[in-house]
Amino acid sequence: MMALRRLFSRVRKIATLHRDDARLREELDEHLALQTEDNLRTGMTPAEAHRQAALKLGAVATIRENYHAEEGLPFFELLLHDALYATRRLAKAPVFTTVVVLTLALGIGANAAIFSVVHAVLLRPLAYNQPDRLVFVGEDRPAAKITGDGFSWSSFLDLRQHHAVFSSVTGLAGHALTLTGRGEPADTSTIAVTPGFFSVFATTPLIGRALNDADGAQGAAPVVVLSEVLWRNRFGADPAVIGTPIELDQRAFTIVGVMPASLRTPFFDQAEQVWIPLLQDPLFSHWIARPPQTHWMPVIARLQPGVSLRRTQAELDAFSVSTERASSEEQGWIAKAQPLQQILVGDLRPPLLLLLCAVALVLAIACANIANLLLTQATSRSKEIAVRIALGASHGRIARQLLTESALLGLVGGAAGLILAWRSVPALVLLLPANLPRLRSIHVDAAVLTFTLVLSLAASLAFGLAPVFFAAQSDPQSTLRSGGGAGETRGSRRARNLLAAGEVALAAILLIGAGLLLRSFARLLSVGPGFATEQVVKAQISLPRFQYARPEQWAAFAADLLTRVQAQPGMRDAAFAAPLPILDDAVTLPFSIAGNPPPAQGNADTANYVAASPDYFRVLGISLVRGRVFTADDASSTPPVAVISQALAERYFPHQDPIGRHMMFGFPPRGDVSREIVGVVADVHDVSLARAPGPLMYVPFAQAPFWGGDVVVRSGLSTAAVAATIRTETRAIDKNLPVTQVEAFPAALSASLAWPRFRTLLLGGFGGVALVLAALGIYGVVSFSVSSRAREIGVRMTMGASPAHVQRLVLGESTRLALLGLAVGIPAALALARLVAALLFGIAPWDPLTFAAVALLLVTVTLAAAYLPAHQAARTDPMKALRSE
Amino acid sequence: MEVWHSPVGNPKVCPSEVQVKQKRDVQQGTLALMVLRTLDVLGAQHGYGIARRIEQISGDVLAVNQGTLYPVLLRLEQEGAIASAWGPSENNRRARFYRLTRAGRKLLETEKRDWEQSAAIVARFFEVKAEDLA
Repeated sequence: MMALRRLFSRVRKIATLHRDDARLREELDEHLALQTEDNLRTGMTPAEAHRQAALKLGAVATIRENYHAEEGLPFFELLLHDALYATRRLAKAPVFTTVVVLTLALGIGANAAIFSVVHAVLLRPLAYNQPDRLVFVGEDRPAAKITGDGFSWSSFLDLRQHHAVFSSVTGLAGHALTLTGRGEPADTSTIAVTPGFFSVFATTPLIGRALNDADGAQGAAPVVVLSEVLWRNRFGADPAVIGTPIELDQRAFTIVGVMPASLRTPFFDQAEQVWIPLLQDPLFSHWIARPPQTHWMPVIARLQPGVSLRRTQAELDAFSVSTERASSEEQGWIAKAQPLQQILVGDLRPPLLLLLCAVALVLAIACANIANLLLTQATSRSKEIAVRIALGASHGRIARQLLTESALLGLVGGAAGLILAWRSVPALVLLLPANLPRLRSIHVDAAVLTFTLVLSLAASLAFGLAPVFFAAQSDPQSTLRSGGGAGETRGSRRARNLLAAGEVALAAILLIGAGLLLRSFARLLSVGPGFATEQVVKAQISLPRFQYARPEQWAAFAADLLTRVQAQPGMRDAAFAAPLPILDDAVTLPFSIAGNPPPAQGNADTANYVAASPDYFRVLGISLVRGRVFTADDASSTPPVAVISQALAERYFPHQDPIGRHMMFGFPPRGDVSREIVGVVADVHDVSLARAPGPLMYVPFAQAPFWGGDVVVRSGLSTAAVAATIRTETRAIDKNLPVTQVEAFPAALSASLAWPRFRTLLLGGFGGVALVLAALGIYGVVSFSVSSRAREIGVRMTMGASPAHVQRLVLGESTRLALLGLAVGIPAALALARLVAALLFGIAPWDPLTFAAVALLLVTVTLAAAYLPAHQAARTDPMKALRSE
Repeated sequence: MEVWHSPVGNPKVCPSEVQVKQKRDVQQGTLALMVLRTLDVLGAQHGYGIARRIEQISGDVLAVNQGTLYPVLLRLEQEGAIASAWGPSENNRRARFYRLTRAGRKLLETEKRDWEQSAAIVARFFEVKAEDLA
């Protein structure tokens, strides 16, 4: 109670800056006067009476200090006092302050920006109810080295029956169906789910209802649940839509509910979306009849409360080897549960953490630079500090003052950095690959704010400790006696040299990392995809499968469209194919070769599969190696034929002529179509530029059509003109067909390199910043050393040292610093480079060229940074230097 | 009575801050109790009057450094144990007079009881001889 009262009184005193100093003075004066009078009465002389009174009262300054300590809150008052003092000091040195704040803003801003990406993508929990309870369940087949595959339908049904550890389980698959009946026909992201989906994500509908078990039964009426965004954009947020029909691929579905915008489907993250029962899906409802060995469906489950991941895995292990499964065709598949978040962003962890480490290195270099600047300052301030210590300031007090100053610098720098991050994050988001999960949620938020604050204070401590350490070591007597020359103590000079060498070491690590990525990226860009993309435009068309139900319709549509497009001026070179290399997901199928022994069960050879019209090879410039490509005569009525890639020919027909041999494969996966190999074509990178071309098998689109595919056109016309023609001709066939993903092929290919480009660009940028900071650091150390050694240089020159000699002396000193830094940095980089090995393409993590180039670059930059001070030193006038002290 | 702290001089010869603080705290507690008791007995008094009274009774506690009294007075005033007002002193000048408040009187009683209890306990410990514990 009393303590509280006292606190209030003290806070009030501080808040009002009210001081009872006058009152205390008056009281003390009165005290002295009364004592003096008493003393006079005992017979002392007036002078003696006053002296004795003063002695008895004690040191007035101490009394006042203690009195004020009682009066206010000394800790905060000192802090305020120190902060004001620091502000005055920093304001008096605007150049120094600006340099430090800008350096810090750069370092902290870059860290905050990268952290905001890391936080949004990796750290922030998924935006679902109790997201830590969600697991992805996949199946591995260790015998065939398959990991993380989906479930087959029968395996999923087994799991759903044995799910004691899960509160609910759902399978899901997604694709685009054409939504018609409301405005323009539009490709709409459609998620085919089992009825457990909405209870797995624990979401209740905005209006209407979710899917229930009856909807998922065989023969139920087709129903659909809309996403809120779709409902608002296409249905005008009309609550009356519940119970009305919409058409998906021209089949009627009754709307039963609308889900809030907060529900986003993992793997298929689209704002405008519909959910339908899997058994009602035109494609996936057929897939449930696929053979058991085909594992296509991702499964997500919600764990029962209190069930650990380990216990779940134990149950799944028991499930995987249970007797029913052991006897079924699912034998050998092992179910594995992993946190959903890990599955969604797991691949992004290494590159993002790499960037975070790199940007932390930049900040470390910035801190070393600032510590160096502060050391320079501390040296010139040593006299001021010595005076203050001599006047009674304790070392702790001095340290506190110095640390307050660096904390102030750190906070101002951090605030500037935050502004920088806030401005640069949108640009960073544009640079990021558009398919990055949770891209939209990247922004500067409270977590980033906290991170920046902590980082700023940590940085202040890091660069603030160096001067404090040397201030504590300095001996006030000798400093004062030495006359206050800007002499540097030996320890301080060694610290400054070590800091500069450390900067070179850190810069070496960063630059080597950046160099490795840069060279990989250059390699990646120089990889020919194996086909020509110049002047090629692509567009995707998907046929509604209820209306276009039969493969003959698909083939007829493709033939009709190609005839129409090729008839247009400048559009001669047009082809139809699915899937396109790199841009589309590859279709991998098992195959067997007639005349070869059949492979062991479950170990079939596989190759990627493309259905293409005859002109495909000409349009994409894929050269023929042997035999022939398809012609218009390869139709559904003629014997099935195939063209294979060189890689397939070399691997499976070594030293043989594949022409005329037969292969068995087909889509959907059936081994019963025998096709004669009629040609061998050059390899293309079918999956990605970074992946070596794999075996490929082509079939004529007319003989094995898909329900849609890509039109590719090589034309001198503009992309827009080509796109317009494709759209017009498609609509002329069927006005309800949407044409999507219309792009110039080179641009689409470039987008596939977004990730490597992003990390290379960023790491390269950080490397550049590190280089500049390290150069500044060397410059600072050398120029300060030159100015503080002016006298010594003067003496040397008087004794006959030539300007060239002096210049060599200074340059030699900085070269030693650079070499010391490299001696530490290069082995460290060698050790760390293994961590980026997975991100490299075509070069080794110990790539000697990169290491040599970085070493050379750093030595050159060091010499350049030291040149100016060296030049200045060489022009020292010995007489002036000697006379100056 | 030694001089603990000098604002000027080489800090290395000073006792460490911790020592100074402990010593002062002990004395401040005692001083505060003496101040309260003095005001209880004499009624309203100015600082010099309190100092003189304490010196008379306790001898050396306030023979020098009487100024240390003023921070104690301020603290007691902040705690509400005493109140102060300007009034005329013996030489007809302005002096600050302190008086005990009701809270101060209560505090004095509590402190007095505590003090007597601890003094009695300590006294008993001094009286105990080795054979009593055997």
